[in-house]
Amino acid sequence: MRYHLVAIILHWVIALGILALIVLGLAMTHLGLAPMAKFQLYQLHKSIGITVLLAVLLRVFWRLTHRPPPLPAMPPLEKAVAEGTHGVLYLLMLIIPLSGWALVSVSPFNLPTVLYGLVPWPHLPVFPDLANKAQVEAVVRFIHGKLAWALAAIIALHAGAALRHHFVLRDGILRRMLPLKDPQS
Amino acid sequence: MKRLALLAALSLLATPALAADWAVDVPHSHLGFSGVQNGAPFQGSFGKWNAEIAFDPAHPDAGHAKVTIDLSSAKTGDVQRDGALPQAEWFDVKAFPEATFEATGFVAKGGDTYEAPGKLTIRGIAKDVVLPFTLTVTGDKATAKGHLSLVRTGFGVGQGVWATAEWVGLDVGVDVDLTATHSGS
Repeated sequence: MRYHLVAIILHWVIALGILALIVLGLAMTHLGLAPMAKFQLYQLHKSIGITVLLAVLLRVFWRLTHRPPPLPAMPPLEKAVAEGTHGVLYLLMLIIPLSGWALVSVSPFNLPTVLYGLVPWPHLPVFPDLANKAQVEAVVRFIHGKLAWALAAIIALHAGAALRHHFVLRDGILRRMLPLKDPQS
Repeated sequence: MKRLALLAALSLLATPALAADWAVDVPHSHLGFSGVQNGAPFQGSFGKWNAEIAFDPAHPDAGHAKVTIDLSSAKTGDVQRDGALPQAEWFDVKAFPEATFEATGFVAKGGDTYEAPGKLTIRGIAKDVVLPFTLTVTGDKATAKGHLSLVRTGFGVGQGVWATAEWVGLDVGVDVDLTATHSGS
């Protein structure tokens, strides 16, 4: 049994989005780019971040309203770890973009967000009106960055497990999420 | 000789206070501005403004002009920048909806060139500036073109993190291209 096509599409849109966000996030903060390039990377990071947030919200809604295909026979500990990993994944995929949105909203730059240069996106309430924006921004920036590293670690665990199931255990668990024709059906 | 000078002085004094005798054709005029963001030049214009102009080429020093600009009408063709301009960091249109330029007397500089010394007020900060312009009068129509260079931070445009030239250049230009019709007196 495979995941529903909607779940598969959302999974890979989110996966590609998060990979792009990690690369952009590192590039825009560490490469010491020229102002225009740096500025544009930040804007793209914001646009993709909000896109991923919306996709994750859809994914959570879909997950709550549709039963995922059952797991194959697995040791109870592995099952618990898999479920825990998925729970943390969902949690981070919600908290990180929300913290990024808060970061933009509380930033002393007070730059409007315009998704992909086309769609105006509002700031979160309260944050833009705080008196100590610089301090709050520093805290939110710290959280956003650290959680991004935690997410990268969880994704490595998630992808590593999927590859182990595919290549070592050969139980077809990866194929449930691949947007390809099932060769066995 | 003395008598002649006295007569001239008296005739100047006798010049009636000029009302706005030039009607500015706003739709066919242009009030623009330019700057540099992230190293890239940009141009914009104000959509809503009006000008009252009293000007007699024979007595330029007796002239008067008042230009009132609705700062919320600034457009540069970039959704993000146009969203930022009215904010508190930039024009702060909630607190300072209008900018004004008031010239008291014009100075003929020979040929079709003149200067309009006056007071420019942006964000409640008034500064003495001199607007040089060229004037072409054909029949009862006149066009005046001038350019003014300003340092935006002199008027507090760009607060906090924007008060340096790191992202947005401090030098901005104002371009005036007026078409007016003489309304008689």
